[in-house]
Amino acid sequence: MPTDKYADMEEKLWILEDLNMMYIRQIALSLQDSDIQKKIDHEIRMRDGACKLLAACSQRDQALEAAKSLQTCSTRIMAYMSELQRMKEAQVMQNVPRRASDAGPMDERLPCKGKVAISDLRIPLMWKDTEYFKNKGELHRCAVFCLLQLGGEIFDTDMVIVDRTLTDICFDNTIVFNEASPGFELRVELYSCCSEDDYSAGSTPRKLASKLSSSLGRSAGKKFRAAMEPGACSPVSNGGAAPLLLPVPSVPGPKYHLLAHTTLSLSHVQDSFRTHDLTISGNEECSYWLPLYGSMCCRLAAQPNCMTQQMMGGWLKVKQCGGDPQTWTKVYAVLKATSLFCYQQQEDVEANVEPALTIGINKETRIRASERDPHSKGQNICISNRYGGEEVTHTLNTESREDTHRWMEAFWQHFYDMSQWKQCCDDLMKIELPSPRKPAPVTPKQGSLYHEMVIESSDDLGSTVSDILARRMQELELRSQLGMSPTWMPVFEENCPKSTGFPVRPCSSRLSGHSPHSPHRHPSRSPVSPHRCPQLGLLSSDASLTSDTDSHCSTSPCSHRHGWPEPPSNFSLLSSSPSRLRPRTLSLDAKLSTLRGRGYGGGGTFQCSCQPPSSSLLTPLPASSRSPLSQRSTQTTLSCSSSTSSNSSSNSEGSHSPESSEGGPFSRPSPARRSLRNLRARLDPRNWLQSQV
Amino acid sequence: MSFVPGQPVTAIVQRIEIQKLRQGENLILGFSIGGGIDQDPGQNPFSEDKSDKGIYVTRITPGGPAEVAGLKMGDKIMQVNGWDMTMVTHDQARKKLTKRKEDVVRLLITRKSLEETVKQSMGCHPKQ
Repeated sequence: MPTDKYADMEEKLWILEDLNMMYIRQIALSLQDSDIQKKIDHEIRMRDGACKLLAACSQRDQALEAAKSLQTCSTRIMAYMSELQRMKEAQVMQNVPRRASDAGPMDERLPCKGKVAISDLRIPLMWKDTEYFKNKGELHRCAVFCLLQLGGEIFDTDMVIVDRTLTDICFDNTIVFNEASPGFELRVELYSCCSEDDYSAGSTPRKLASKLSSSLGRSAGKKFRAAMEPGACSPVSNGGAAPLLLPVPSVPGPKYHLLAHTTLSLSHVQDSFRTHDLTISGNEECSYWLPLYGSMCCRLAAQPNCMTQQMMGGWLKVKQCGGDPQTWTKVYAVLKATSLFCYQQQEDVEANVEPALTIGINKETRIRASERDPHSKGQNICISNRYGGEEVTHTLNTESREDTHRWMEAFWQHFYDMSQWKQCCDDLMKIELPSPRKPAPVTPKQGSLYHEMVIESSDDLGSTVSDILARRMQELELRSQLGMSPTWMPVFEENCPKSTGFPVRPCSSRLSGHSPHSPHRHPSRSPVSPHRCPQLGLLSSDASLTSDTDSHCSTSPCSHRHGWPEPPSNFSLLSSSPSRLRPRTLSLDAKLSTLRGRGYGGGGTFQCSCQPPSSSLLTPLPASSRSPLSQRSTQTTLSCSSSTSSNSSSNSEGSHSPESSEGGPFSRPSPARRSLRNLRARLDPRNWLQSQV
Repeated sequence: MSFVPGQPVTAIVQRIEIQKLRQGENLILGFSIGGGIDQDPGQNPFSEDKSDKGIYVTRITPGGPAEVAGLKMGDKIMQVNGWDMTMVTHDQARKKLTKRKEDVVRLLITRKSLEETVKQSMGCHPKQ
């Protein structure tokens, strides 16, 4: 009765959970701290919600996001609970009467708190070059995110899908922690989860799972088994140190595992990017493994409160030694950051008026209270700075002793803060507050570094060649009845048995190599039958594919399309056997039109041939036309070659669908998108580029 | 036609001079090239040595200037107007071939059949 056993276990877990909750509530009550209690309750509700969502959602993306929230909530709950326990312990300790020798100074000076911000996290990956150039096989993808913990605050970054086209994992979020002390420890954890569709069976019964894993191929089976037993790879799959305390309810679905972690502290804070080492857990056998380079770059900035807030303010009288003889100026002084700002009036502080006098207060400054000045009441405070080689001293005078004492206290506190926050007090570091989340942020899919390189195409002949061809084709269409075809014509002709005798060979050679060297083909693409009338200068290419190339073609070729359904009689010869045509769907029609409108491609700039052209010589043309589905090869013309490159660019981008950018069947992809795809096709090292010269 | 790093490259080459054809504003040669040091050499269908990252002629437009000049598909381009083509990126090669100010390109190309031809001729006429 295995099912009974499982149900039994689950029940026990629930009981444990309830008991734990009661315990926690009691602690919270006794501490009279309802704040943490509320937080824990909130997180538990969130976690339940995430569990339900995980059980209910069907799409992989949703499941990953829900699993991520689950992980975050669990971690937060752990943190709050340990915080609660700590507070309880502290309370208990306080109640125990302490011996005199144990008691430390009762009023220990505490440094001020500050804001710590971490941003621009980047984790480089180190794929093997064989992996990178590999075009076969499924793209192994992982979903990753970072969990950042400082004190009691835990934040997670957005989730990023990583596959072998990425060179770095980049997280764009800026995370700001508000109550950090100088001795903070910021723990960064990288969680990842394998994102293969096949391995999402969390609830497969064990026997079936083992059968499947033994019947699948070795590596696939290994992966499957690893996915089924997350515990084998990482002992802490629940993200908690004490799994029995509020254990995470086991839900079917993707589970994140800790891949790497590191801890950052004050010594890592700097106003610029720095690289830190990562400690990697897990090994190559785990399903969630990614080849990390072993370091992490980020910008860790801190703004201690003493730099951003006003630490002390009040009325003072200031005299500069060595300056005006013995004249006291009454000012409203504000101690902030690295200076004492002296304003003439209190309102000036908010009014952002320039202070009348600024006295620097930094590590080099020396402040001492001097003897009671016979000329004025209260004590004097002397502030000495060295500017250049000179020593400049200002004397402050306050109204009363208490004031003096308060000012001195403020100065001591300020010095203490600066000594604790060290390099953060030299200059104010900028922290950009994360803007409120924009709805549906438009982020281009992360591509590899190669895709982001910019190339000026000022000298690009590709577009100009296509222009030439476009114009030529227009001329040809006009002259075609006369039977005058220039030397270039056969390039565009398909069944040219009646053509001018130019060998068919060049045509078919261009058919070659459109072989998919990757199984990533979108079945929705319907190639056009080759029997489309080539006399129209047709680029009957694989409809959905032609992307790219910045062809500035005129729209006049479009107009010819409308003549398509009623082919003129003199074209009937060429539009042979329409019965062999596949029924044209609306989308195909539209795609054709966009193709035509787009003109003649990029002058064949990109073409990917992966087979020796000699083999294609053996492929008779009609055969290719007969099986338009199986042979994605498109009909020649220079634009075809560009379409195949976009084909291969779609391959190389794995699941990235170039079709997705073609919004709607009747729209033309904008030149920007085309050129982007252009660029990607050119820059993807897995293509073997060819250029027309 | 593989090379040994550090050793000079030797090959039997043929000079081909191609007159660019003017098409409106542009000059075209009428062939396509593939390869380059930034490309994956394993995908080159013409090269004998699959680690050869040289520039190869992958397509000749029939009747174009290149065909007229005698360029053949599968030729490896060694030099263009004196510029080396054995260690260039794909884009560099393309640029050297498509300079606007040049009407003619003089290529040094090599192909397997050249070697055979030379060997045969040497065989028939042994050295004196």
